[in-house]
Amino acid sequence: MDDLLQILLNGLSVGAVYALFALGYTLVFSVLGVINFAHGAIFTLGAYFTYLLIGGGVGSNGLLAGFQLPVALPFWLALPIAGLLSGAVALGVERVAFRPLRKRNADPLLALITSLGAGVILVNLIQLLMGAESHSIPTGSLGSLPAALSFGGARIRTVQVLLLAVSTVLVGLLTAWIDGTRSGKGLQAVSEDPVTAQLLGINSGQMIQIAFGLSGFLAGIAGGLVGLSVSIAGPYFGIGYGIKGLGVLVLGGLGSVPGAVLGGLIIGLAEALVPSDLSGYKDAVAFGFLFLMLLVRPQGLLGKPLPNKV
Amino acid sequence: MDTTLLQQMLLGALLGISVYLPLRCGQLSLATPGFYAIGGTVAALLSTRIPALGGDGVSYPISSVLLEMALAAMVTGILALGIGKVVLRLRGIYLAISTIALVEILRVVSLNLSFTGGAIGIFGIPQPFASPEGYVGFTSLLLAVVCWLCDRLERTRPGLAMAAIREDELAAASQGINTANTKLLAFVLSALVAGVTGVIAAHFLNSWNARMGNFDASITTLAFVVFGGTRTWLGPVIGGLVLTALPELLRPVGDLRLIVYGLVILMGPVLFPQGVITPERLSRWSRMLRQRLRLEAPTP
Repeated sequence: MDDLLQILLNGLSVGAVYALFALGYTLVFSVLGVINFAHGAIFTLGAYFTYLLIGGGVGSNGLLAGFQLPVALPFWLALPIAGLLSGAVALGVERVAFRPLRKRNADPLLALITSLGAGVILVNLIQLLMGAESHSIPTGSLGSLPAALSFGGARIRTVQVLLLAVSTVLVGLLTAWIDGTRSGKGLQAVSEDPVTAQLLGINSGQMIQIAFGLSGFLAGIAGGLVGLSVSIAGPYFGIGYGIKGLGVLVLGGLGSVPGAVLGGLIIGLAEALVPSDLSGYKDAVAFGFLFLMLLVRPQGLLGKPLPNKV
Repeated sequence: MDTTLLQQMLLGALLGISVYLPLRCGQLSLATPGFYAIGGTVAALLSTRIPALGGDGVSYPISSVLLEMALAAMVTGILALGIGKVVLRLRGIYLAISTIALVEILRVVSLNLSFTGGAIGIFGIPQPFASPEGYVGFTSLLLAVVCWLCDRLERTRPGLAMAAIREDELAAASQGINTANTKLLAFVLSALVAGVTGVIAAHFLNSWNARMGNFDASITTLAFVVFGGTRTWLGPVIGGLVLTALPELLRPVGDLRLIVYGLVILMGPVLFPQGVITPERLSRWSRMLRQRLRLEAPTP
């Protein structure tokens, strides 16, 4: 029984990260109807920003070998700053990879390709500058907090509690913003129909930028937290999350905020429930879900039915 | 020129054609690396495990390579037929995502199966050719055959139907084109080309593992087609040749391979929505070339 509780707790904290990650995809998808393939790279950037801001030094490879910021911020301050920086990068990605195509009314599929290009460039720039080796954020960065908490017979790492708490708060704030404020309603209007929204006095371009900025911020925060939890396994570590995030996204329903959360939790739990002798197949769980879902119910668990394009 | 690089360029051109075929009917499928990996695995398994094929650890008869290619084509073709029937109901982003998932599932499965060598892969794949020149000759021949078939395809009904679907699927369907079967044909042909290419690549590289068909490979091959364009088979062929060579030529500057590909797929759709190689540009270039030749020829 305790084992099951432990598995559930582990699954929940992994699922919370997936949810946070997929929310970033969802925000952009809901306003533009395209997937930002650079999202995984921005997640990686968030982790590296956090690492540098808390005073981590660059290893011996890469052009910035041995570089270290003169300041060492505490983790709770470094994380939001890393989030903001990631948000700024996401705005840059929008500008380079999305806006020129939108201006030309190009096929949305092309934005899939350009954002993939932006992501590949970001990841490889990190590799060029900081080398391919892994960096780990020291666990001592959490200050005087204990390394793990005991919870009804199961042990949960403080990092995991933090992951769960931050994800919950951010998801809550985001939902409140989208449903409860004027600008959040504006976002919904743009996702419904950008041209009509524009006619009704909503600045569609600005809403799109807000969506990108927020999605980058969420990715940066998620990256920093995961970096703290499992260490940054080189510049490519966000790509794996990025591809898995697609599974979460499709399972929950593209463009649905509660769907992204539900999908994240389901896949996190499902991965935790994979028996240890089959653990090699754990990485295939998200894709299995994705594949099945696309065949059975392409709009996902909580998504709107797909319109038949005429 | 370095023959090893030349061989890689030829393999790049073949993979470019594989990504191009579904895109010719407007379907973005990133499944090529998956089928490429399967082709390579078939070759690696047959040539190292079955002594009857004549592999003695060093040399290997070419007839056995042809047999492997036929088998790889059968395996990938049947697989693509089954998978294509299901995933091609999806459109646009959904199709792209499902093919990414397919490649990842194949990679994870092959990492975990013992007979594919797991994470280490299969080593000591016998060599049908003693030198890289032999490989270059064989692969050039294969590329020529594939190009000729593509050229035939584009001039006949199924190829024209593919282009019609790319321009407007609904309009194509209303003209009596069986869109489902045409898309399936493109998907299966794409898988066949990728599978056969994998067979040669496995022999050429001498070892084969699950990482051959990863997301990186999807990006690389996609860049070939974004650069070359989706209007004629010559585009992805040139894309594959040029983009495989370019990073190697830039090697002195640093390992810029993926940054170059990233720039191509980021800037390509913005600057050259039709790709760099379009039928119009090709005819303009050949006209310019002919004019220049005429100017240089001495007047009789």
